[in-house]
Amino acid sequence: MIPEWMKEVETGPSECCPSSVDKKKSFVEKSISGILNFFQESMISEGYTKRDGLLQSIDPRVKLVSFLVVIFAVSLTRDVEIIFVVYLLTLLLAYLSKIEISFFIKRVWVFVPIFAGIIVLPIIFNVFMPGDNLVTLATLGNGTHLGPLPLPSTIYITKQGTISAVTFILRVATCVSIAVLLVLTTKRDVFFKSLRSLRVPKVYVLTLDMCYRYVFLLMDAVRDFYTAKKSRTIKTLPMGEEQKWVAGRIGYVLLKSLDTSERVHKAMISRGFDGDVKLMHDYVMQKRDYATIVAVSAFSVILVLVSQNIIVT
Amino acid sequence: METVFELQNVSYTYLEKFQALKDVNLTMTTGEQIVVVGANGSGKSTLLSILAALIYPTAGEFHAFGNSVTEEAFNSLDDNEFGRYFRKKVGVVFQNPDIQLFCSTVFDEIAFGPLQLGMPQEEAKRRTEEIMSMMDISGLRDRAPHTLSGGEKKKVCIASVLSINPDVLLLDEPTAGLDPRSQLWLVELLQDLAKAGKTIITATHDLDIIEQISTRAIVFGEDHTIKADSDCSAVMKDLELLVSANLIHKHMHRHATLMHEHLHAHDGAHHHEH
Repeated sequence: MIPEWMKEVETGPSECCPSSVDKKKSFVEKSISGILNFFQESMISEGYTKRDGLLQSIDPRVKLVSFLVVIFAVSLTRDVEIIFVVYLLTLLLAYLSKIEISFFIKRVWVFVPIFAGIIVLPIIFNVFMPGDNLVTLATLGNGTHLGPLPLPSTIYITKQGTISAVTFILRVATCVSIAVLLVLTTKRDVFFKSLRSLRVPKVYVLTLDMCYRYVFLLMDAVRDFYTAKKSRTIKTLPMGEEQKWVAGRIGYVLLKSLDTSERVHKAMISRGFDGDVKLMHDYVMQKRDYATIVAVSAFSVILVLVSQNIIVT
Repeated sequence: METVFELQNVSYTYLEKFQALKDVNLTMTTGEQIVVVGANGSGKSTLLSILAALIYPTAGEFHAFGNSVTEEAFNSLDDNEFGRYFRKKVGVVFQNPDIQLFCSTVFDEIAFGPLQLGMPQEEAKRRTEEIMSMMDISGLRDRAPHTLSGGEKKKVCIASVLSINPDVLLLDEPTAGLDPRSQLWLVELLQDLAKAGKTIITATHDLDIIEQISTRAIVFGEDHTIKADSDCSAVMKDLELLVSANLIHKHMHRHATLMHEHLHAHDGAHHHEH
């Protein structure tokens, strides 16, 4: 049945070369392993939702509304000290919710400097925002131009710019910390369902929930593609070929996701789905939930009043 | 016995090009246990999809519970009492659990059907707990489907359908990908459901379970027509039929009731030893 060439088997000792070690990964491997690590980490972080901590015990709807109120109040606050106090409170809440502080800080500060830092960096220089000299960087003399842009005789970091930048970064970090606390202490399905308390339409809640569920399935497919390719790769392909392969697989994943969505829709129909989804809501508000929402609302109002100098500290 | 499904000269063509079913005539009655057997691509799954009113015949007529099943009749369950009745009566277990398990937890998955069919929350919750306990999956309550093993996924799939308590159960390749212990569990469950009077229609090419879960076998040929519709034991004894339907290899055969498989070689002249 098999052709003659297939009957040839190499016997005897291997004449091959010693294995070489190349630590560099291809861009495809780097991207895929990065995405997979992200998903793996998000699965691991779901473990925090099961811990017996303070925030885990609060009704998800109360948590969602309370955190949104605090984020709103922090975004109105101008006083850097007050924002810092709120940031410290998020660390305390993380501790009381049995989240490792080092993990929590890392989770927040990995993204904040990248996004907020880059945005806010220019305002610390007197080139963009005048202010009092804090640190002199360069003395250029009068009449210096950068293209059509006239430059000041001395370039320095301003005191006002630095305060504004620190306030902005700290505000972003505090808001991100609050959001991270919410996500780490609330199960995904419960979190999505709690969006209903904000009157988010049921169909969006279900869609979000299903996206989260199926993104794992599609990631598994991507991993399988890559593993299969790797198992048959004898030599590294040129960058162009790799890019072609990635483009082809992206197209295939799109088709697969469309096909899956059609099949899932049929599965939903077979169990009575008629376009008007009905979700299970079995949350019961406890006394502590009412106390939480009152306390958080009062705290947020005081925060805004103090920061707007309506209450003088 | 009442007629559950009746198909008259039913054909189905995908994209107006690829024929999946050809001139199918069938009547299925309440309490029957039927297997639909055939090779890959013979039309088993298409037939199941038609019986589940998920696709509609491109030719011929399909009646369920005495009513004509058409796309128009199922467009909206809101305005369609029969549609709602049908979904309550007929449950489908799909071959791929990842398609069927679309909720984020096992509990929500099992509660989905009862809630959609208008069951009050408390009752749906109670029923979900009962089904989980019956299927011995209470420990999986808050687990996400993608974290379950193949056997666990299949159990949750079946639980999500049984929670509706359908009278007719359609199963597409239910033993695919299951280990022997899970297969045995499934066979026993189907036997219990049969004893309870459920109508069970299973599409499979797993010949080992056919006689354990059904009394009637419908054999599809590779030309998408019905080659035989008879009792299971007669079909299983008809080796020529099974070979022509590509269900058994010509070197796999039975000795009395034992399936016999032997080593054989194709290198040069064919020979084998018993």
